[in-house]
Amino acid sequence: MSAPAKQSINTDTIIRLFRAVVVLGIIMTLGWWVWQNTQPEATHPFKLGLDLAGGSHLLYEADTSGVDPQDVPELMAVLRDVIERRINVFGVSEPIVQVEQSSFVTDTPIERLVVELPGVTDVSQAIEEIGRTPLLEFKLLDEEILAEQEALLSLNSLQSASGSVANIDNVRVNGEPVTERSPFVDTGLTGRYLEGAALEFAGQATGQLANEPIISVRFTPDGGQLFAQITRDNVGKQLGIFLDGELISAPNINEPIVGGQAVISGGFTPDEARALAQNLNFGALPVPISLVSTQTVGASLGAEVLGKGIQAGAWGLGLIMLFMVVWYRVPGLLAGLSLSAYVIMMLTLFQYIPVTLTAAGLAGFVLSMGMAVDANVLVFERMKEEFRNGLSSRAAAHAGFTRAWSAIRDGNITSLLSAIILFWFGTSVVKGFALVFGIGVILSMVSALIVTRTLLMSLPEVRDHSSRGAWLFGTGIKK
Amino acid sequence: MFAITYRIIFLYIAAGLVVVSGLLIGTLGLPFGIDFTGGSLTEVAYPTTMPAQSEVEAIVSAQVSAGFSVRVATDEAGRPAYMIRTPDLSDEARASLTDALTALADDSEITRFTTIGPVIGQELRDKAVWAIGGVVLIIILYVAFAFAGIGTPVSSWTYGGITIVVLAHDVLIPTALMSVLGYTMGAEIDVLFVMALLAILGYSVNDTIVVFDRVREKLVANRTEHKTSVTEVGGLVRETVTYTLHRPYDELVGEAVQETLARSINTSLTTSLALMALYFVGGSVTQTFALILLAGVLAGTYSSICIASPLLVAYAKWRNHA
Repeated sequence: MSAPAKQSINTDTIIRLFRAVVVLGIIMTLGWWVWQNTQPEATHPFKLGLDLAGGSHLLYEADTSGVDPQDVPELMAVLRDVIERRINVFGVSEPIVQVEQSSFVTDTPIERLVVELPGVTDVSQAIEEIGRTPLLEFKLLDEEILAEQEALLSLNSLQSASGSVANIDNVRVNGEPVTERSPFVDTGLTGRYLEGAALEFAGQATGQLANEPIISVRFTPDGGQLFAQITRDNVGKQLGIFLDGELISAPNINEPIVGGQAVISGGFTPDEARALAQNLNFGALPVPISLVSTQTVGASLGAEVLGKGIQAGAWGLGLIMLFMVVWYRVPGLLAGLSLSAYVIMMLTLFQYIPVTLTAAGLAGFVLSMGMAVDANVLVFERMKEEFRNGLSSRAAAHAGFTRAWSAIRDGNITSLLSAIILFWFGTSVVKGFALVFGIGVILSMVSALIVTRTLLMSLPEVRDHSSRGAWLFGTGIKK
Repeated sequence: MFAITYRIIFLYIAAGLVVVSGLLIGTLGLPFGIDFTGGSLTEVAYPTTMPAQSEVEAIVSAQVSAGFSVRVATDEAGRPAYMIRTPDLSDEARASLTDALTALADDSEITRFTTIGPVIGQELRDKAVWAIGGVVLIIILYVAFAFAGIGTPVSSWTYGGITIVVLAHDVLIPTALMSVLGYTMGAEIDVLFVMALLAILGYSVNDTIVVFDRVREKLVANRTEHKTSVTEVGGLVRETVTYTLHRPYDELVGEAVQETLARSINTSLTTSLALMALYFVGGSVTQTFALILLAGVLAGTYSSICIASPLLVAYAKWRNHA
């Protein structure tokens, strides 16, 4: 062998070794990061779902039927803020309040509110606190409908007075039965325009004897304008004040009210009035909500599930590595390293995206480890054939990667497509699983095609399958 | 290759498995859980003194008139507990139920409480159906596309179609297992089960594609291309490509199966190892999930070796005769 040739082989070997060292270095750095972030006060800790951390998950449905669809997103944002304020009052660490929409498989989009309360396992109190928040609405009395209804009533009383059994009950105006229509019409003025509420006693302002407790409410500038406009346009009409859908009072509008102040009176006891003012201050809901599902997991249960999940992951990783080393020997060992790299890369992403880890997500992750070595197995089987056919270990590895590529590509693309569809259709739990699954598919390819490949290429070359050391590149129990 | 030589036997076994699975699902029914039907589930642990089941039932029946079940269980920490399933509870009913249950013993603890409204259940069911349907559709399209131009003797759509037949087999068997688990152990179909099915879909296709990919490679290496150009009226030149195989199709398919056999078995082994770790070491929440997936992976391995390729050969032979 001539000197320059030897020289080039040496530089080549150095480059290969250098690449392997770089890859190993990156993985070890990532591993160190992951470990750092499991320490207390880490900057990017794992985000545990409620089923692992313990806590309550509440799902509310918002009734947006009476709202202009254009205003819905804004109203939901207001609702979210209001609920969050209320939750903060009773001191839950890191609550999550999210607006969620039912997917397009349902006929009409339903607006939902997801409330997650880590550490809260007595859900009754939480539900009560959230549910107690009143819904405040101002509605105008439509005298036409009222007149129609009254006319119908008097007609019916005349009928019964005259001894007739027949009752007129199906009178329709514009296709709607008169009796089922509320005579009160939405004005668009609701609790969302409220800035504050205070308990007062009627007569206080005018210096008279304070007797009846009332609540004076102050509107936001927008709300004040709206209120002024409503009162200006409807002088002489009745304005109904509704609390949680119930009419509390319906004062007459005597004159336009500017200045953004209004008074609610409705025969409250002082305690009731105080509670109401407080609730209004903490936020009147812009739209009514109802609880549709709850889930509570005890803290000890969550910790147990988490511990067992981690243990299962460790066992899975160990068993797979053991199998790979026993079956594929040196390449198997590298596949084991590459699998560890896969695990570390996944964990890094979990911390930095961050992906909320759930029991289902953990299970999916453990499953994905088993499938992540598949690309390695495909390559090694191909490599083994080429090696047997007389190629050197390195050439066989090259051929293995090249020829296994189409199978790896096709298999992974279908997996990736399924992950995308899952993400698209799924509920939040399924979305989490789909995300982990999809990222797993990509990273398993990265780990096989980059990590395993780089490490494999840095190994000393074995000339052919009859050389010394060939056993290291064989498979199975036989030589 | 044994799978091709004895393909009739293997296909009959598969058909038998599918029929038995179908019968099991048909007779035992599918145990849909509250994720899909709506309802409430309460798990209450009694670490020291376990009250009698009749006591608990009396408490539950005070709130719910019918349609509830009380089952002895153990919580995640291995403590004795009752698992109570009821229809969707109102807030007041839930509060009085939990109060009464925890009053039975000093150290009792509500370890799990879930309520799912019927609307959510319905929506989840619709979503599951859409997701599975969507995945199946994408898969058949992709396989037909990826294997387009594979030509003689069967078209790429056949490969796509067979992938779907194999999928049906791989999904039916774990579903039947779910029926049996529901019947014998009271296991329930939840969101995790749907995820397991979707993971099985992905695994099964992947497995089948690897074999088909090798078939494609064999076909390309063992054929001669014939191009014929026909000049049509109007001067349009249409080119058609036909292939002649140098070796019999069934022989090539057999070799493809043979050469991917080790890979199929090894990948199913590593995946099974992970799943067994999950089943034996992991929490009880994901135990059924692991078992269902294990059944799916084994079914998927069987089908990719003993169904997919034998079906290819059987179909090619049938078409040549027809």
